[in-house]
Amino acid sequence: MSRLAVLMLAVGACAAQDARQIMADVQNRQKSNSQRYQGWLKVIDSKSKISEKRWSYDRLGSAGESKVVLRFTAPAEVKGVALLIVNHPDRASDQWMWTPSLQRDRRIAFQDRSTRFFGTDFSFEDLEERDVNQYDYKMLGEETVAGAPCWKIESRAKKTKSSQYTHVHLWVDKARYVFLRIESFKGDTMIRRIHYSDYQKIQNIWTPLSLEVEDIARKSKTVLKTEKLEYNVALKEEMFTLQALRRE
Amino acid sequence: MILLRLLTLPYVRKHKLRTVLTIAGIALGVVIFVGMRTANDSVMYGFQQTVDRLAGKTHLQVSAGETGFPEEVLEKVQAVAEVDIAVPVIEATVQTGLAGQGNLLLLGVDMTGDRSLREYDFEDGEEAVIDDPLVFLAQPDSIMITRDFANQNKLSSGDKLKLETIAGPKQFTIRGIMKPGGMASAFGGNLAVMDIYAAQFIFGRGRSFDRIDLTIKPGYTLEQGRAALEKALGGGLQVDPPSSRGKQFESIASIFSVGASLNSLFALLIGLFIIYNTFSIAVTQRRAEIGVLRSLGATRGQIRMLFLMESAALGLAGSLTGIFFGLLLARGMAQYLSSFFGEMYGVTQRVEQISADPRVLGLAMFAGIFMSMLAAWIPARAASEVDPVKALHKGAYESFSDHENRRRLWAAATMCALAAGCWFGGGSRGLPLYTGYLSVIVAAVLLTPAAVRWLVVLLRPLLRAVLPVEGALAADSLMQAPRRTSATVGAVMLSLSLVIGLGGVSTASYVSLIDWMNNVLNPDLFVGTSEQIAERSYRFPASFGEEIRRMDAIDDVQFVRTARVQFRGVPVMVVATDIAAVGKRVRPKVVAGERETMNRLAAEGKGVILADNVALMTRSRMGDIVEIPSPGGVIRLPVVGITIDYSDQKGAILMDRKVFVENWKDDSVNLFRVYLKKGVGPEQGKRAILERFGSERKLFVMTNEQLRDYALRVTDQFFGLTYMQIFVAVLVAILGIVNSLTVSITDRRRELGVLQAVGGLRRQVRQAVWMEALSIGLVSVMLGLVLGAVMLFYYLGIIREEVAGIRLDYTYPVKIALILIPTMMAVALSAALGPAESAVRSSLVEALEYE
Repeated sequence: MSRLAVLMLAVGACAAQDARQIMADVQNRQKSNSQRYQGWLKVIDSKSKISEKRWSYDRLGSAGESKVVLRFTAPAEVKGVALLIVNHPDRASDQWMWTPSLQRDRRIAFQDRSTRFFGTDFSFEDLEERDVNQYDYKMLGEETVAGAPCWKIESRAKKTKSSQYTHVHLWVDKARYVFLRIESFKGDTMIRRIHYSDYQKIQNIWTPLSLEVEDIARKSKTVLKTEKLEYNVALKEEMFTLQALRRE
Repeated sequence: MILLRLLTLPYVRKHKLRTVLTIAGIALGVVIFVGMRTANDSVMYGFQQTVDRLAGKTHLQVSAGETGFPEEVLEKVQAVAEVDIAVPVIEATVQTGLAGQGNLLLLGVDMTGDRSLREYDFEDGEEAVIDDPLVFLAQPDSIMITRDFANQNKLSSGDKLKLETIAGPKQFTIRGIMKPGGMASAFGGNLAVMDIYAAQFIFGRGRSFDRIDLTIKPGYTLEQGRAALEKALGGGLQVDPPSSRGKQFESIASIFSVGASLNSLFALLIGLFIIYNTFSIAVTQRRAEIGVLRSLGATRGQIRMLFLMESAALGLAGSLTGIFFGLLLARGMAQYLSSFFGEMYGVTQRVEQISADPRVLGLAMFAGIFMSMLAAWIPARAASEVDPVKALHKGAYESFSDHENRRRLWAAATMCALAAGCWFGGGSRGLPLYTGYLSVIVAAVLLTPAAVRWLVVLLRPLLRAVLPVEGALAADSLMQAPRRTSATVGAVMLSLSLVIGLGGVSTASYVSLIDWMNNVLNPDLFVGTSEQIAERSYRFPASFGEEIRRMDAIDDVQFVRTARVQFRGVPVMVVATDIAAVGKRVRPKVVAGERETMNRLAAEGKGVILADNVALMTRSRMGDIVEIPSPGGVIRLPVVGITIDYSDQKGAILMDRKVFVENWKDDSVNLFRVYLKKGVGPEQGKRAILERFGSERKLFVMTNEQLRDYALRVTDQFFGLTYMQIFVAVLVAILGIVNSLTVSITDRRRELGVLQAVGGLRRQVRQAVWMEALSIGLVSVMLGLVLGAVMLFYYLGIIREEVAGIRLDYTYPVKIALILIPTMMAVALSAALGPAESAVRSSLVEALEYE
């Protein structure tokens, strides 16, 4: 092997290591033991028709080993419907849904994780927690997003992690180590674009209070705003069980 | 072709009526064949089409027959590595209560995953609502319907639709309208989709699913996926492609299909006789013509070909006519069959269109032409052998030579010997059984001329006693022309024998059914979910039975759960009930085993009791270990008894309810057998149950008498074919007798003319023709009733050994025979009216100049 080739491989390995390190830093800086917020969701379809939902969100744990309870509070027709999501580091999450009008829970097996999340422009995969170890990274370069210098990184799911996307482009704010934009691709076609904005430092964690996702093919977009967000709230394990889901 | 144009066309023009009757004879066979096959195929095709349209991208389906299985199975399926997407389904039909709409096929699916498998194409503007399964799932009254259904009933999004649920009628909100085409065209567009958990509630399914639809991951073959699933699920659940559901339906309805095929075959056979009759007559009438042709150098081959070409042309015309009317008949019959299958087998189907299989139409065309040429073969050969010198001699050629008679008798004796050999040689089933059956038919046909001659000889004194001159003329006419007469008699005889055979089966079925009902169906009331007992969409929770039991008027309630499962390749019915309680009340006929022991063992869950027909069809015996698939695994239990049971046409396996509940994890109930306290009348008990529960539950209460009437009505529908066959027999008789008499009168114009010239009255001529017709009718009926007795013997054998395993006692259908005699005589007389008038109104001068 020529010296040049060895040098190129070494540089490539170093760049990959850098990208992975950046992503690990992003994960570490956002780490919290629990989280609680109230979400407000607005879906604007291609004909500008708007539908809204509100929910309360509780998370216990982090980095792909968390449990989440999401309880819808509005509109009236979905009020009381709750989701229990148990994330696993090595496989897709387990999810259950509680429907108060039927007084029963059901296991939701989103085998096709490209399914849209309850009429929004998110897919269920988009909502899963990303563990840095589940992806390979490559540094693509540097770009500015909304005036902020960013690293542009490409991530590809490892073989052990299935994904609807072939690859994802992530723009990481160099100063705050947060995402400003994510573009997800299937081959050469962009499927979704997510913008993160309205960052505030809450309990020393830079947190986007506004998030906008665009479904490129459907020409629709969803805006998610979070309110009353808190980290490291004292949440009990018992709150994240099927029994608890049924009780409330 | 020249001969055809020069000789055949003028003959056809001269004998238009006979030509039409001959074409009608062929057409009749083809009509029955095309009509019945196409109607049957259309129902099957409709079912398969619905299955296909609902299947979407489904590769395989996991099911437990009809019973459904616990929800937990879904997780097992989803955990199989080869499975890509697996979604649960509940599929059932509901009554809409909307005028003219009939049933609505309701698909219960889990909208969170189902859209990965099925295409739901919605109207504009509804995407947002339907794409948000949260709204759909959060509101259990959500329902989606098709655009066709919405248009037919003037419904739109947001409107309410009332449906029957197990808890009584409920209003549902239309939250989506599917565009026409694709999945929305399943079940003729009468399709609705709702959340699967809401469907569980509606149909009282507890926590079970009917089936799981799934796709296999790319890179795996269907067989790999199937093998992996079977391994993961054990042997109790079936893993099949969607197409296999059509085959199961065909298997359930196979008894009916066999009946339809038999009828079609007979119809074609009868058509063959009519053609034979026509050509025999044509050859006789055209002997002089043939003689001249032979004198002018026409070869035997050319003459034979001339008649065969004529028969082919008539066959073509008859086939085309038959196909046209057959398709019309199929249209009406398919709807009848569709509702009949719903009542008989609990498989509701909606026929969207007539499925005219080109192979069936091609076969009908071929059969029509082939049968026509086959029937004309003997007359054509006879024509080719006409001696030119003797050609102008008249008369003797309508009779059989002694040599021919001897040959026929020998052939008939051989056929009888073959039939006897088949039977006594252990051929009570399979090929020997069918060989024996066909041999008897052939023997009967060969014996017909001789039998006609003997019977007419016996009848002659009787005819003379009634009307001396006319009676003698009629009898002599028949005896002088056995070829002409025997073909007509043969056709009518065959037709009537089929009526007697099928009638006998129906009579024996009624006798056996009533006997069984007397022994087994003795509760005062039956509480079901629908007026159709076979319908199994809705189920009661077991707690409902306890509520009924607590009522003052009630003495005892027995819980019955029925469900179809595959057992040794036969879709049999599992009947699960409290055997200890039922055993105290009912006494079915025991075929094998001892009553007390079998009830005790079955009640303890140590065995099952088989219906006799299941035992026969699956070759099961006492002590055999039977394997019954269940969601909990394969149940292996010994046969502890075999009894006569008509719970289901394909047979029943009786097991104790606790065995079912344990293995199916399902304690729901299809039917409650209710015994009332002494002094409480059935109507009073029925009223009490309806008053107590009618407003809060979907339930249907039948008194014992009403249930019996229901069972007999469904049986009536099943044997509706018999009545159709009587209609065919009447048609055949009219065609044959009119044909025969027309020729007879034409042949005897001179004779009848002379009779009138020497002072015979018109009345006498007319009555002579009538007497001849009545004689043909009487002889046909006599032979038909005798052959029918033999046919019945074979039909019972075929039903017992080949089709349903049901042992029916030989019961000659005396009532049907008694109806047939005057019917056929009236038919014969009415068929003679036209020819008789033609005979008396023909010119005397022309008649005396004739020939």
